[in-house]
Amino acid sequence: MIDPVLMDNLIKVFINIILATAAIIIVKRDIISLISTYTVQSFLLVVLAMLLYLESGSELLIYLAVLTLLSKVLIIPHFMKSTQKKLNIKRDIEFHYLNPTSALFTSIFIVLVVYVFLSRVLAELELSNVFFLGATVGISLTFMGMIIVFSRKQTITNIIGYLTMENGVLLFSLFLTELPMIIEVLILVDLIMLTLVATLLAFGINSPIEEFHEKINPFVRTSNWLAKRNGNGNGHAPERNGEED
Amino acid sequence: MDMILSIYAIVGFLAILLVLTSKSHRMMNIFSALHALTYIGLAAYALMYSSLPTYFLENRYFFMDHLGLYEVIIGATLFFFASMCAKGYLEGSIKMGELSPENVKLFYAAFNFLLIVVTYAFFSNNLALFWIFAELSTVFSAVLVVTLNAKKNIGAALKYVFMASTSMIFSFIGLIFLYTLTSHALGTGTLNWDVLMMHAKGLSPTILLASFTFVFIGFAAKSGVVPFHGWLPTAHSKAPAPVSAVLSGVITSIGIYGIIRMFAVLHATSVASRASIVLIAFGLLSMFVAALSMLQQVNLKKFIGFSTIENVGLMLVGIGIGTPIAIFWVLFHTLVHSLTKAMLFFSAGIIHHQYESVRAEKIINMLKLQPLASAGLILGATAIIGMPPFAVFLSKFFILSEIARASPVLLFVVLILLLLVIGAFAMFLTKLVSQVDEEGNGHGAHLEKYVASQGIVLSIAALIAAITILGLYFPQALTDLLNVTVKELGF
Repeated sequence: MIDPVLMDNLIKVFINIILATAAIIIVKRDIISLISTYTVQSFLLVVLAMLLYLESGSELLIYLAVLTLLSKVLIIPHFMKSTQKKLNIKRDIEFHYLNPTSALFTSIFIVLVVYVFLSRVLAELELSNVFFLGATVGISLTFMGMIIVFSRKQTITNIIGYLTMENGVLLFSLFLTELPMIIEVLILVDLIMLTLVATLLAFGINSPIEEFHEKINPFVRTSNWLAKRNGNGNGHAPERNGEED
Repeated sequence: MDMILSIYAIVGFLAILLVLTSKSHRMMNIFSALHALTYIGLAAYALMYSSLPTYFLENRYFFMDHLGLYEVIIGATLFFFASMCAKGYLEGSIKMGELSPENVKLFYAAFNFLLIVVTYAFFSNNLALFWIFAELSTVFSAVLVVTLNAKKNIGAALKYVFMASTSMIFSFIGLIFLYTLTSHALGTGTLNWDVLMMHAKGLSPTILLASFTFVFIGFAAKSGVVPFHGWLPTAHSKAPAPVSAVLSGVITSIGIYGIIRMFAVLHATSVASRASIVLIAFGLLSMFVAALSMLQQVNLKKFIGFSTIENVGLMLVGIGIGTPIAIFWVLFHTLVHSLTKAMLFFSAGIIHHQYESVRAEKIINMLKLQPLASAGLILGATAIIGMPPFAVFLSKFFILSEIARASPVLLFVVLILLLLVIGAFAMFLTKLVSQVDEEGNGHGAHLEKYVASQGIVLSIAALIAAITILGLYFPQALTDLLNVTVKELGF
């Protein structure tokens, strides 16, 4: 049997690492590493659920851990990666309202606000330290996910933001093991949403790509026009090449 | 009586099965209409012959009470009218090239799924279950928005899904708060609404208020309350007209319904007045933003969408006032607003097919080309701004008089906002009606008259009749029903 104090500390460490993964998601622009960070984050939730099981012995937690492992560590990331391949988007280049750095500062601020808010609101319930930390990080994670949803333009990153939000809720609810059946359904709704969004994306093409094409189109047109002109006056192009050399 | 919930499910899945296996558009349409009619019939039966509230399952996750049945009847009625219109509308869309024939089945499948999900949301006693059904309703209505081929529809649907579901996650946090709270106060945690109502006074008011605020965010997004309204005008304008009617009349009602239930729990506690302030503030903000947006709107369907936001704002103010009379008329307003809005959207649907656009500058010779749609728009606008003899007049009048009793200043603000809305309607309609091209050299003159299907014509006529009759004659049965509902909610 593990020493309860050590156990408590271990749980706290894991909760904090989960917060760190959310921070990484906020600053990363590369889609593949966003997906991997999300996978790591979900895996940490699985570990956390197992630790909580060792502490409380509630079997529902094992069940939850298995569900999370299947859906959030295996199926969803796989799905996201294949969608990413289909869409062929590698990086987020455009942002609304906040760029990654200011988003990170905003989220630090959010964590503080959530902490103050919760310490006031939940004060009368006399909750354990670990629960309080879990609630703070869980709600902060939800807000950080929301920042991603609203500040990134690519739909695929928006999905990762949404999934981060759900991880926040999951983290929060891990401490309420009696919460009946609802978490399972939350994960189910997750999967449905994801399939829906991916289908929508498959239906048409992600709109930022269109915008991107429109933006480069003038250049494409100019270069075509240049190529034509150069083609008319044969021998002109090689000369230019020579100049460039 | 125990069977009725299962009958609902069986009828629903039977309808979906029939839709999926039937080959003709006509049959799919008939099955959808029958589905909605059966739901109305079952709800009416339950209202008349059962002792309410009735609880289902051992854990009492589902129940039927007067409010739930009332909302189901409104919702299913709108679905019925929407399916009356759907056949003609979708055929028009196929002809216009905005809908591919393969998507017709998808449309009807999602349509019937949405009806089931909405109905079960209204029958959920457990708030978390209600949350799940509300979330699923977003999924199916997004599918309905995206059945049209345009890329803009995909954008609108994505915006809708993201705005609604991110906000709904905050609702979920609110529910977790509530659950923690009850497990501390009662020993076992619960999210069953009847238990919450019973023990509300014993729960910590601060946490109750915090959870109310979180829950409010999600349901506010569902009902298009500013600042969570971004999806609403886009989705309403891009969706096929029958879907816009359902979005406006049923999906926003889910949000309002959730807010009423949650507020009912708080009503008996010491934080009720603070929750009222939240509701009234968001209500006024919604009315303000909607009125200003309407004044500069050039897209007919977006314009009607913003009018929904304005009405939702008024309903929030009414709920915030929280007197039995105010709640009574807010509930009546959900009914007549839904009917009027459906009629407006159906008329806008005809306009859309006539001009292949709903932008004001494209709509020329409207009175001559589409007299019925013009009548629908004009009468609908007159009705929705609250002119007698239409039914919205009653609800707006009595909500306003309750506001006046609560605070004259508030009445002043609300009246000014309503006047702005009336001005916006007057401007927009004048513009539509006055764009006439007699000479026949503009692009509107050589348009061929689009012939609307009988379903749409009948629906518009029936809805006009309904909102006029309800304005002139208030049935005793409805009074009794609403009175009992208000009492059940504890107001």
